[in-house]
Amino acid sequence: MAEKHKPAPMVDEVSEFEVLEIAVRELAIEKGLFTAEDHQHWTEYMHTLGPLPAARLVAKAWLDPEYKKLAVKDGVKASLDVGIDWVNSMPTKFGTPSDYCNLRVLEDTPKLKHVVVCTLCSCYPRPILGQSPEWYRTPNYRRRLVRWPRQVLAEFGLQLPEDVEVRVEDSNQKSRFIVLPVRPEGTEGWTEDQLAEIVTRDCLIGVAVPRPGKTVNDPRPVRPAINPYKH
Amino acid sequence: MTDINPDKLKLDGEMESRNMDDSPIELLEKIKHEGRVWDELSEEYGVDNPDPPWRITLEATCDMLADGYWTTFNICKPKEERNPEEESQNLDAVERRWEEDQLVSQHYTDVPFPESQLLALAHTLIRRGLLNEQDLANRMAEVDRRLNSA
Repeated sequence: MAEKHKPAPMVDEVSEFEVLEIAVRELAIEKGLFTAEDHQHWTEYMHTLGPLPAARLVAKAWLDPEYKKLAVKDGVKASLDVGIDWVNSMPTKFGTPSDYCNLRVLEDTPKLKHVVVCTLCSCYPRPILGQSPEWYRTPNYRRRLVRWPRQVLAEFGLQLPEDVEVRVEDSNQKSRFIVLPVRPEGTEGWTEDQLAEIVTRDCLIGVAVPRPGKTVNDPRPVRPAINPYKH
Repeated sequence: MTDINPDKLKLDGEMESRNMDDSPIELLEKIKHEGRVWDELSEEYGVDNPDPPWRITLEATCDMLADGYWTTFNICKPKEERNPEEESQNLDAVERRWEEDQLVSQHYTDVPFPESQLLALAHTLIRRGLLNEQDLANRMAEVDRRLNSA
């Protein structure tokens, strides 16, 4: 006898936070702070975003030296080949205030490791990488990475030899960054799809490096910042 | 790069000079203490999704409030055709994030993300007079009735 179909689990409870989110949004619309239609368009667009296009950009660059040159020279143009148009894909048709509109692709070498942060807030290349992880937004990561990059990377599990230079890039309102890591050994002969699978979000931020068999991000601790904001 | 971002120092100075009210807000304190967060609910109900279903709509609300999308078409208009009153009602993304950092460390440290982001956004909107606390409480009661009416 066939196994009885079981419905997928769901949260069968309305939380106060869910109610608060709806209430804030409805009141903002009623006050004319934005329109329901614009919100709907933007939400639909945001649901389409994720890290796959950036992973594919890296995989293509590993396979095609000419494409790699283009990616490093003009990240926005190279993004077109992985389906991301930084200008016209967005409902605004000219980028967004917080993502507009200069993607730079930072090429790692065996002696140079890049890592990305936004010390000011939490700027992130959302059109090509999706939503930022919680730890990336925290003041703890943002403050400490620029001061002790090697140590913070080690906390993430990335121990770098002393002869590898670590370069931190600070995102801002005009420039966003992704890291083009070194292609790992053991991937010779792999297809673009296979390569893209090991280029995780954390590799693209620069806190991890790709390796065969590793296709998911590790859980990361989120630590508070205990000092006042000026610290 | 190891120097502190000069834009950050400038922002810190500007925001600090505003001497904003940093007191807790009763309605949000109640939600903080009594609301059930997604981590708890998803574990209890065996749901794998790491984020609550409203995370993206919250992000969209933040973007809409920012100086940009909701005024997209205003930006394209000649200055004389814009509505200055509307433009003064936006919530700059960098300022919102600055306030979120501060409010979370001050009031919502023990609240997980994105619930902390939501509380901080509501806090900022109330503090800036863009939303009224009582209106928000009333609307929450109405939304709650609606969602639980089936």
